[in-house]
Amino acid sequence: MPDVHFDRHLLPNGLRVLLSPDHRAPIVAVNIWYDVGSRHEKPGKTGFAHLFEHMMFQGSEHVAKGEHFSQIQAAGGTLNATTWLDRTNYFETLPSHELELALWLESDRLASLLPAMTQEKLDNQRDVVKNERRFSVDNQPYGTWDEKVQALLFPDAHPYHHPPIGSMEDLDAASLDDVREFFAAHYAPNNAVLTIAGDFDPPEALSLVERHFGPIPANPAIPPAPDSTVEPLLGRELREMVPDRVPLPRVYLAHRMPIFGTPGFDALEVAVDLLAAGRASRLYRALVREQQVAQDVTSFAFPIIGGAAMLVIWATARPGITSEQVEAALVAEVDRLASEDPSDEELGRVRNLHAASVESSLERISERADRLSMYGCLFDEPERVNTEVSRYLAVDAGRLREAAAASIRRDNRLVLTYVRAEGPELGA
Amino acid sequence: MTQAINPMRPPAGEPRPYHFPLFERRRLSNGVTIWLVPLEASSLVSVHLLLDAGAAAEDEAHGGVAALTAQLLVSGTRRLDATAFAEATEQLGIEVSSESSWDSARAAFQALPRYLDDGLALLAEMIREPRFDAGEFERLKAERLADILQARAEPGRLADEMFLRNAYAADTPYHRVSAGTPETVEALSRDDVIGHHEVHYRPALANVVIAGAFDADEAVAAVERQLGDWAGSGPGHRAIEPHAGGGRRVVIVDRPGSVQSELRVGHIGIDRYDPRYFPAIVMSTIVGGTYSSRLNQRLREQLGYTYGARCGFDPRRSAGIFSATTAVQTDVTAPSIAELVAMLEVARTTPFEEAELRFARDYQVGVFPLRFESTAGIAAAIEPIAVYGLDDDYWQTYRDRLEAVGPAEVASAAVELIRPDELLILAVGDASEIRADVEALDLGPLEVVPAP
Repeated sequence: MPDVHFDRHLLPNGLRVLLSPDHRAPIVAVNIWYDVGSRHEKPGKTGFAHLFEHMMFQGSEHVAKGEHFSQIQAAGGTLNATTWLDRTNYFETLPSHELELALWLESDRLASLLPAMTQEKLDNQRDVVKNERRFSVDNQPYGTWDEKVQALLFPDAHPYHHPPIGSMEDLDAASLDDVREFFAAHYAPNNAVLTIAGDFDPPEALSLVERHFGPIPANPAIPPAPDSTVEPLLGRELREMVPDRVPLPRVYLAHRMPIFGTPGFDALEVAVDLLAAGRASRLYRALVREQQVAQDVTSFAFPIIGGAAMLVIWATARPGITSEQVEAALVAEVDRLASEDPSDEELGRVRNLHAASVESSLERISERADRLSMYGCLFDEPERVNTEVSRYLAVDAGRLREAAAASIRRDNRLVLTYVRAEGPELGA
Repeated sequence: MTQAINPMRPPAGEPRPYHFPLFERRRLSNGVTIWLVPLEASSLVSVHLLLDAGAAAEDEAHGGVAALTAQLLVSGTRRLDATAFAEATEQLGIEVSSESSWDSARAAFQALPRYLDDGLALLAEMIREPRFDAGEFERLKAERLADILQARAEPGRLADEMFLRNAYAADTPYHRVSAGTPETVEALSRDDVIGHHEVHYRPALANVVIAGAFDADEAVAAVERQLGDWAGSGPGHRAIEPHAGGGRRVVIVDRPGSVQSELRVGHIGIDRYDPRYFPAIVMSTIVGGTYSSRLNQRLREQLGYTYGARCGFDPRRSAGIFSATTAVQTDVTAPSIAELVAMLEVARTTPFEEAELRFARDYQVGVFPLRFESTAGIAAAIEPIAVYGLDDDYWQTYRDRLEAVGPAEVASAAVELIRPDELLILAVGDASEIRADVEALDLGPLEVVPAP
């Protein structure tokens, strides 16, 4: 069972601070989660939260464009940031004697980003992000799948109706005013969780955090999270066929499911592993090995917290196999979850795989810091870093079947099928 | 809005030393070398079994047999069929992997320490008594052929494959991916796999790396129990002598409708034993090894042509490629190529700035301990020592050797290792959109080829 030690502190300006010392190696991880993601974007501004994340590396009052990266890398560190539906995270891992450098850089952009913003920088990063979209979505086989899943699983105005990358049109529409407004609304110490993990002295680190972040004022008017209420079930089966530049058909089954952090989510996380974790999993065994209709199988539950989460399962057809054959085989296995209890051996298998995988992830201080920030930011319960495995192990056959019966059903299913496009319109 | 509270970069504290973990070597009488890396604070154990049975060990007519053999190993043993073997390992929370590269084949797992013995027993059974079931062979062969189709549908992987195919002459095995081409894989039979295994999966050149939480004597005894009576010696790998596929030229791989062009610019680079290895790392770090590198700064942060640009070497037992890599929106394909070529030329004609050199060394030296945070990462770090016969103190002296790279070494690395006359400039993109502009750059003979 994980045993991550940490202390929690609250600065007067509302910044939540989690400190998790570990002196095995002279390195330290700094990780900040801001409680803002693509779900907070305004209509017509899809992709903005992520574009904004890029702008956070374009300098601040005392840091030049590119300097955040160059200072950390010159110190022998690594760094990055990611934007997702619910949140945005920023992180550095570097030699521990440079801890203050990371805190200074993170605090400077939180304290004084706007004076450094220019139209030229915005235009440059807009181009970069549009190329990121081309690279990961538009020019990739099956690249549009999550955009389509989100658009079909969630109604038009829902905050999860679109993925963080956004649309080209909306990216084109982003302005410096949007940068100012977004920063003022969401980037404040009382909307963030800061975790430090690794080789540091907690009292000293806390005083460094106070020195750098303490003077940054709270925002008394953080906008409330958008209304994400949505029916727990789709209500009917949805189907969409996508002709794409793909050699092999692929079938996605997507469902609404209970949100991350709930017992229902935990139960379906186990279901997802029964289906496709490892070569003894049900889908691998049935579709890949025995029936030989699929080339690969994948399943996962999106850990998101607004209204409903997403449970997605996919299989790529073997050459000569149709999408209909793959879909029929997938549905047969998936539906069995609700009608048949797993054996103790089967549960034991996924429990042991899960425990080993968490143990392995938590070896790295960057991952430990990220999980502490995540549980702190999404639930205000960082201690979940240690209880998450027992929540998983507590799922028994009865809960599993109940959760599967509630969510993995035809009237809650999107069937999204990629097929090979014919003709010259191939790359459209 | 807010005031300047801490305007200056804070000073660094006192660095605390880091040392790569100590390890010891034991040898069984049949030749198996055991590398023991005890890690006091680890709660896991990683086992990597390495064999001189990679693609360099196969004969060219059977290209891809090493990869297919490695993949087929996890499909069970004489005692346990494919599903039973998967269940036996996964019940222990273990996912056994088996794969091959040019220079070795590797079977590996990670486990909670209490499952080390059971895991080792299953790994040894898999290596020594594989099932090589005929149905599983056909299934995995078909899967491999379909993988090749899928890879060619992805522009980045297509560019990688086409770059190898053009950078090396057809008589150099490296001109293909290590897992084989559709033609060579199609020709493989189950007997070829059995033969590859019989000849090359032998203890004399085998290495077992164990890292993490374990008792050294018990672990050695466990390996002895599982592999001690395994006998035989394989021929090892063949020598590969790389030949270039041609002089400086431009190849456009036509992919109609592409909204980006995947670019690769480079040529044959260095092997793992090259004395310029460390200067080459520093040089490629400056040119294209970090976010702050010249290529990324220019193409991404100044021009906005791409999500990222980088360059690097791929050293193997023989010389792998050196290439600059990026993906740019279609309408700036030609200017991006011009920038890449110009920056590679400038790297060899204009001295690097002292600050750039310091930055690259500091970065590589500083991130050193970050590379060895995980138990599996430390086990993987032993692999080049075992496979390439590097000195045992390789990681102990690694940072000193980087620090010793001076301006003269890095300048000669650039002059010797970037050869403008030999540059292969390859673009995977929509030829109807990019051909004329690329041709107008007049960088060398241009050929447009269809995507395979």
